[in-house]
This record gives sequence, C-alpha cells and structure tokens, in this order.
Amino acid sequence: MAVDPAERLLNLIIALTHARVRMTRAQIRASVAGYEAPQHGLTPEESRRKEAAFERMFERDKDELRRMGIPLRTVVDPTHGDEIGYKIDASDAAMPAIDFTPAEAAAIALAAEYWQGATLGPDANQGLTKIASATEAAPRTPLSLGARASSRSDATAVIVEARARRQAVQFEYTSERSGHATRTVEPWQVVLRGSAEYVVGLDRDKGEKRTFRLRRIHGTVRAVGPENSYEIPTLPHGRGQVEAVPIRTARIGLRPEAGNALRQRAVAAGSVGDWDIFDVEYRYDDQVRDEVLALAGRARVISPESLAADVRSHAQAALAAASASLEGDGRG
Amino acid sequence: MAERTAPRVTRMLGIVTHLERHGEATVADLAAHFGVSEQQIRKDVELLWVSGVPGGGPQDLIDFDAWAFDDDVVRLVNSQGVGQVRLSPREAVALIGALGVVVAGGVAPEAAHSALAKLKEAVGDGDAVRSVPVHPADPALAQTLRDAMERSVVVDLVYIDANDARTERTIEPHRLVVVDGATYIECFCRRANDYRTLRLDRIYGATLGTQPIVMAPSEASGFSLVPQFEATIVAARSARWLLDTFPGVEVADTGEEVTATFGVSDVSVIAGQLLAIGPQLRRIQPAPLAAEVSRQAAAALAALA
Repeated sequence: MAVDPAERLLNLIIALTHARVRMTRAQIRASVAGYEAPQHGLTPEESRRKEAAFERMFERDKDELRRMGIPLRTVVDPTHGDEIGYKIDASDAAMPAIDFTPAEAAAIALAAEYWQGATLGPDANQGLTKIASATEAAPRTPLSLGARASSRSDATAVIVEARARRQAVQFEYTSERSGHATRTVEPWQVVLRGSAEYVVGLDRDKGEKRTFRLRRIHGTVRAVGPENSYEIPTLPHGRGQVEAVPIRTARIGLRPEAGNALRQRAVAAGSVGDWDIFDVEYRYDDQVRDEVLALAGRARVISPESLAADVRSHAQAALAAASASLEGDGRG
Repeated sequence: MAERTAPRVTRMLGIVTHLERHGEATVADLAAHFGVSEQQIRKDVELLWVSGVPGGGPQDLIDFDAWAFDDDVVRLVNSQGVGQVRLSPREAVALIGALGVVVAGGVAPEAAHSALAKLKEAVGDGDAVRSVPVHPADPALAQTLRDAMERSVVVDLVYIDANDARTERTIEPHRLVVVDGATYIECFCRRANDYRTLRLDRIYGATLGTQPIVMAPSEASGFSLVPQFEATIVAARSARWLLDTFPGVEVADTGEEVTATFGVSDVSVIAGQLLAIGPQLRRIQPAPLAAEVSRQAAAALAALA
C-alpha cells in the first residue's frame, strides 16, 4: 500500500535531522519509511523504473521541504567520491524561541485575508500555522483589524524566493523612459504601497538602483544565474534619496475641519476669516500641490506664489478637460 | 482534494512545538487553535506517533501518553528533536508585508507593532518587504475607534461624505481595515440603520459613547467599496504614474496618450486625485466623474481667488 506522503515527509525530516554527517540518496531510499527500498530479483528494466520512481518522489519531497522553509544542506564527503549527501541542521531549521501573545497572533492573522487569492495566499496560511505553534491557546476573538489590496502580482513570490537565494531575476518591462526591454535585476526589497507592489534592486544593465512596478512586468519572472551572486546594501527607510532637496515652508489656509492630514504635520499660525492658517514643511511642490487640489476648495495656498500658481494652473487645466468631456458627451 | 503535504506536515510539527512550549492540550483545544477538525487532529497525532528515526526501535519514535490520548488529551512524551521550522522567505514576506500595511496605515494597536517587531526578529531578514504609507490615518481617531471596539460601545462622530455633506452619526464600530493604503471603519451606522464602511479621513470629532454595541459585524466585508461605475480616462503618457495607482486599473498605450479604465467606488476621491494630472487630462468619462472633477477644480480656483 502506498504510504501517506505526509508520513514519508515527516520520516525524511526526522532522518535528515538525526543524520550524524549526512545521508546519501541510496541511504535515504534504503532506510526512510515511505520510500521503496531496492529489491532483489528484479529485471534490469524493472530496477531502472523503480530507481526513476524514487528519484521523482525524492525531488518532489525536496520541493515540499523548500515550501515548508526547511533548509536542506548538501554535504559532499571527499572520502566517498563525489556523491552528494543531505542533512537538516536542527538549529538552522528551528523556529526561534519567540512566543507570540494571543493579541499579537490575532493581529498577524490578517495576512490570510490580505493575500487571499494571490500566489502568496498559501504561504500566508502556512506561516500562520507556524505562528500558532508559538502561541498560547486562547479563545478566538473577532478580528478588529484588516487589510486588503485590490490587486497583487504573481511575480512577488518568485522575486522573494530569488532574493532569499541572492539570485538575479529577469523579466520584460515597460517604462516611461526606456520603453519595452528585458531587465536583469538583483532584487533588494519588495515594496507594498496602496494597491501597488514594487521591487527595488540593482538594474544590472544600467548598473544603478531602480524601482520596478510589478504590474508593468509582462509574462513571467525568471531567476537567472548562480545563487549568492550579490549583496544587498543597507536600505534607507525613508522615501528614497531626499538628501539633496532643501526643505521649504508653505503657508496654507484650511477650512475648519478640512485637511486633517495636513493639520497633523503643520504648525498652526492663527486664522483669517473662515480660514485656519498653517505652516507646513515640504520638499517637493507636487506633494503639497496634490494634497491642496484634492481638498477641492477646502484648502488654499497663501505662499509661496509659485506653489499657488501651480495649483491654479492644474485646476484650470482639469476644469477645461472636464468641461470638454461634458460637452462632448452632450453632443454624443 | 486532499490537503497538500507541506501545510499538513507544518501543522504536525506545530502540534509538537505547541505541546513542548505550552504543555498538554485537549484534542478540542488543538483543533480550535490550529483551525481544523478534531478528527484531523487525531489523525495528525496518530501519524506523528508512528514516525521516527529510520531503523530504530519503539524508543526512536515520536511518543505520546496513550492513557491521556484515550481521554482526548494530547501529552507529548518524546519529540525526537523535531519541531516547528522557521518561516520561509515567502511566508515571512506574506506576514510582515500584510501586518506592515496596517502599521503604515496608522491604525494598528500596540499588539500589531510588537508582533511586527517579533516577526522581524524571528526572520532575521525583515528588510525583504517594506510597506509604505499612502494615506496614514489620524492616530488619535484610530485610538478612539479601537477603544470603542474594545469596550464594545458606540462612537458619535461627524462625517463629511463624498458630496461634502456634513452629518452627525452614531456608529457601532466593528473593524478597522486598510484597503489599498486608505483606512476605513466597518461599522453599523444607526443613522442609516445599515452597515457602512466609512473612510477615516472624512471623520471628524469622534467621541466615545456609552451605549453598547448590539449589531453583529456584517458578513460581507467591504461591500460598500463595490465600484459604482466604470470610468475611462484619456491622458498624456506622463500621467501614467497616477493612473497606474488606481485599484484594478487597466492602462492601454495609444501613442502619445494612455487610456485608463477602472471601477470607481468613490467618485470624489478619484476626482480629487485627477486634479493632480490636470494638465495631462484629455478626456474624462462618464459624465458624473467629469462633473465632479469640474466641481472640485472650480472650488479650488474659487478658494484662490
């Protein structure tokens, strides 16, 4: 009778964890419960078929180990020729001795909903099982916290795996500046922002750091070249290179109860008529401009004049485009 | 379809580690804790029981207390040194990324912050993923809503809706949720006598009420974010950076211009964002969206006059 694959995998994990130095494929086949050990009295043809069946089964099990996050070390023993042996280092594989409180585990559980339907969905669920192993049992409380994204890329999982092995990735990409091209990138970090996912990394052809939006990747992402082929530099935690741009101050008028986000980071400077006045620091014109525009008349730029003019020209252009569209619809 | 192997073995190792760290447990408790049936827990334990070091005797097998198991209590006797394994790179990104989204959204309770720190420590490579705030919520407002949910009481608030109409409402808050970077509260609104999903940056002056929450959370989460209509925007190519950020958008290149098609669930928010690409806008459809862009642009100009 065929052995339950879960039983075979579990026995393989125990065997490789207990192996003193390593186990070769032949040793695994002969001794781990669940694999069919070589038999005597078979024709060479039958022997070859059984051998091939074992190889397929073992490759599948290696994939399962990788999927579980168990590092499989390959050990070459010079006294036994070139044959590869395998071992699992218990200390390397084990979950660190960190316990999560029930409240912490409940917060982490929101990952299941966030990745539902995405390639990382099963990974999120399996990760939550691991968190549960390190969490005290407690009555389930309704989750008062959630996160969703309306689109997630299938490329994320491949990029994350390649990054863990420090292996470059290759993909077809369309950008504003360079058009359509094949890019080879050393992935440093995946960035989640709103409904968008990005990868930051070294573009090998340009020799520079670049950010790629995963939705603009066409087709599949392939891991290419050898593992451990690059190092990841220390990444800034801010929004990128902001050192060179000086900080300026804008004076903004806000209607009462409007512009909560602006108020949060601004300094109050009294009020004039129906306007609350605030001074807000900024680096880029478009940052404040877009925020003021989105407040649709509940905010106004008092100074500098260049910023006010920028808001005015954007609003005038939008008004013109909207009017033209409405007239066009009327005619149609 | 039968359960896949990796998730099942991961749970079996989890049962061993859980028993090692937290002591014996009933089958029912383990079932609830790992989110599977009691029958599945029994199968898992029985399979663990017959697993062990190759070629060994009974002393080389994972072992449980048989008397206790007869009473539906799982008590580990010998783990054979196996236990739960560290998070895989993909699992780590899935958990850290999602939790990072709510922390970046500014609505996360202390437990989410400490959980994120512990996850990063457990992984040792917490930089694989970073969640960047888009519209962080007011922390004081988030705290008020969390307090209300914890004490199970209502919240009185002022809400300025998509049409700039100001209303005073009493809500029964159920869940804070970050959708595409913006923060919402899923609640029962007593004024509307129905379930609502309210955007936090439109809520003002929220105060904790005294009346208890009586309505159960809605089964259908995010229902009010269903797109109301499909919009099509034609703009100069340089506006693509913004159009690309709209949820569920399809952007097609048409020479020097791009055409973006997407579902609109919140007209006023989309219109407000479109002002940022005013000089690049060529055509806005349908009329309700164009009218809202027109209204907001006129209001912005009037404020400057």
